[in-house]
Amino acid sequence: MIKIEKRNDVPMALYFFTPFIAIILTILGGGIIFYILGFNPIEALKFYFITPISNLYGFSELLLKATPLCLIAIGLSFCFKSNNWNIGAEGQLTFGAIVGGGVALLFYNQEGFYILPLVIVAGAIGGMIFALIPAILKTYFNTNEILVSLMLVYVSKLLLDYLVVGPWSNPEGFNFPETRQFSDSSRMPLLFEGLRIHAGIFLALAAVMLSWFILYKTYLGFQIKVSGLSLKTAKYAGFKGKTMILVVFMISGACAGLAGVGEITGPIGQLHRMISPDYGFTAIIVAFLGRLNPFGIIFASLVVALTYLGAETAQIFLQIPKYTGQVFQGMILFFLLASDYLLFFKVKILNLKKNELRH
Amino acid sequence: MATDLRISNISKIYPGCIANDNVSLQFKSGKIYALLGENGAGKSTLVKILSGVVSPDNGEVFLNEKNLKLSSPLDAKKNKIGMVFQHFNLFETLSVFENLSIDATEDNESLRVRVNEILKKYNFSIDLDVPVLNLSAGQKQKVEIIRCLLRSPKVLIMDEPTSVLTEQETEELFISLKKFCDEGILIIYITHKLKEVLSLCDEVAVMRKGKVVSVSQTQNERVETLANKMVGQKLAKIKKKINISKNKDEIFKVKHLNFYSDDPFETNLVNLNFSVKKGECLGIAGISGNGQNELFQILSGEIITPDTSIIFRNKEIAKLNPKQRREYLMAFSPEDRISQAAVPELKIYENVALNNFKSSNFFEKGLVNEKKIKEHSKKILSDFSVNTDNVELKSQFLSGGNLQKLILGRELITAPELLICYNPTWGLDVGAINYIHETLIKINNQEKSTILISTDTEELLKLSDRIAVIYKGKLSKIMPSEEVTPEKLGVLMGGGSID
Repeated sequence: MIKIEKRNDVPMALYFFTPFIAIILTILGGGIIFYILGFNPIEALKFYFITPISNLYGFSELLLKATPLCLIAIGLSFCFKSNNWNIGAEGQLTFGAIVGGGVALLFYNQEGFYILPLVIVAGAIGGMIFALIPAILKTYFNTNEILVSLMLVYVSKLLLDYLVVGPWSNPEGFNFPETRQFSDSSRMPLLFEGLRIHAGIFLALAAVMLSWFILYKTYLGFQIKVSGLSLKTAKYAGFKGKTMILVVFMISGACAGLAGVGEITGPIGQLHRMISPDYGFTAIIVAFLGRLNPFGIIFASLVVALTYLGAETAQIFLQIPKYTGQVFQGMILFFLLASDYLLFFKVKILNLKKNELRH
Repeated sequence: MATDLRISNISKIYPGCIANDNVSLQFKSGKIYALLGENGAGKSTLVKILSGVVSPDNGEVFLNEKNLKLSSPLDAKKNKIGMVFQHFNLFETLSVFENLSIDATEDNESLRVRVNEILKKYNFSIDLDVPVLNLSAGQKQKVEIIRCLLRSPKVLIMDEPTSVLTEQETEELFISLKKFCDEGILIIYITHKLKEVLSLCDEVAVMRKGKVVSVSQTQNERVETLANKMVGQKLAKIKKKINISKNKDEIFKVKHLNFYSDDPFETNLVNLNFSVKKGECLGIAGISGNGQNELFQILSGEIITPDTSIIFRNKEIAKLNPKQRREYLMAFSPEDRISQAAVPELKIYENVALNNFKSSNFFEKGLVNEKKIKEHSKKILSDFSVNTDNVELKSQFLSGGNLQKLILGRELITAPELLICYNPTWGLDVGAINYIHETLIKINNQEKSTILISTDTEELLKLSDRIAVIYKGKLSKIMPSEEVTPEKLGVLMGGGSID
């Protein structure tokens, strides 16, 4: 017989250590998968986790991919910490990119220092507005934010599809589903010549600092913490529950919108169908792997970004599809949840025979 | 065949609480037995042991002299012990028949035949092919009962079955239960409703604080005798304090308090009117589940009810939330100190910051003033003799008594004009209870008022200046406490009337 009991004392140190256990288990699990597929597991894992970042270019690509993940996950941590399940960051990212991209397209043939800030702000506002939809429906109509935010992802993706095929498609683009190239004034400044890493990384770092400050040093942060631990207590203390839900969704949406705008004004430079390899969904894993802690999220975004890069290298060198990246992301989440379960509960194996003897 | 169920010396100890203390009981088929007790008296634990959900630390269960090993609900089913829980275990979106067929061992056709037989035999009218969510609470309960009957049980345990039923449905249930009993099924009926015990059951066992305090024939009992046994009273210990608050101004006045809920597990409140004078303690007695939860939440502002008028210090506050009410110098100590009044995972000083009143400066311009909160917390810890001085300690490491002192301290250190508390000494040891009682008397002496909602008669008689009883969401007339006796309270708490 197996009996599962809740642990009374969960050591905090272990709580922050389990993500590392999850990562190690993921690497082991990956090795086993590669072995079954007929590859030398050590070799394959090297291609996956070391080759991609063994040179400066690779490392800059890692930061490039980690930037949107970190930004989105920071936003999501506000929602998740306060018990609001925003699953639609991908939609907020897309809508932010649409609004920001729309502004950039307005200025496609103009130059000016003011254009980029306008585009960035427009993107953040776009994401914020899109996140407000599930928030308002939740607060005033009691809908489930998980479903609404998730379904809105497809709404925004189809809207983007329509725009790049129809009204916003490049008139000189031979009917390819993409818009004009943005003007240089709408592009994120590159940090180094020849590398794709851009100034968006500073936005992500600023978000980390700001979120740490809000979560740990302000009344809003205190309310978020209490609401996340006990809604009953939040009600008893008289926190304005509805306002808080709106605020956390707005923060979350703005971060996702910024991430979207960072992609289109950074490495992409225009709008087309595939502006995000599901960063919005993967960031959910990042947020939890980082323990919803701003600095934990930096670390987690780097780890998860590596699975994107590793998948691409593996596709080139091992001829396996790059979707293995998602397998690794799934494994991280799985092992994290599993080790959390063992952290919060203990499994006792009862010896039945002994019990029977006693009776 | 006659059934004989015997519980022998059952004990179950949870950390910090003895749920069952050496409980022994005997039941024989052909009778309906009541197991009576307040919330937390240990009824549910005993039932969980009988149904295999919880295993006892000590003691044994015998069915027809066979020692039962109940280590899972499956064992209870195998031994023909059926159980209908207060909260239904049905899949709402599946049809009635699908729900019944989930754990059936026979094929659907013969199952349907047997179910129809049961429906006919007991006059149940339920459409087997509609989704369960379309059923009323009473019908859902019937589905649960049918599920038990399909296994031809020897013992049927009903846990608070009428809490979600209408009067009509309750009557129907009682008729069915009597039929089952005539057919030789042993019925154990768990409740805290006294009238039901008297009208339905043959024998009644009363539990209090984990112990069986009395077993008797219901024909020898009346509502008030049962009420007294249930809440327990030690007449000798009761000492009323001197009524100091005659001819004082009314500080708090409630008019037309009505509350209607769609949730069958909540109690509706019907036209409550009362007032509290300066320096007075108004006691509200009642057996738990008669509307106290709802009343507390409305008084604290967690629930806002339309049309209610609440005047506090000459201001209308009925539309204000708890935080705004605190600004007017009200304070609240809810019953549930572990998951509502405080958050166990938060540190002591963070829990103190929950009572964020205007002059506290805990949060200046939206920023946390940690230094201020910690200073304030230190003062509470020493003023209210909480046995730690470490404000960084997580409050889950405080004992119940110390946690309650912290909560009371947090609420009282702002010198509120009115404290509303609900079962402030529930589950505490004698030392902590005395400390809290002294504190509550002290604040009355300082001309501050209190509303004490409590299920503990002794506490109410000791602390209140005036007492009213809440029963099924209605408030009795308010009586000066020198005119109140435990017997009177017992009658009113059981739904009877005096004079």
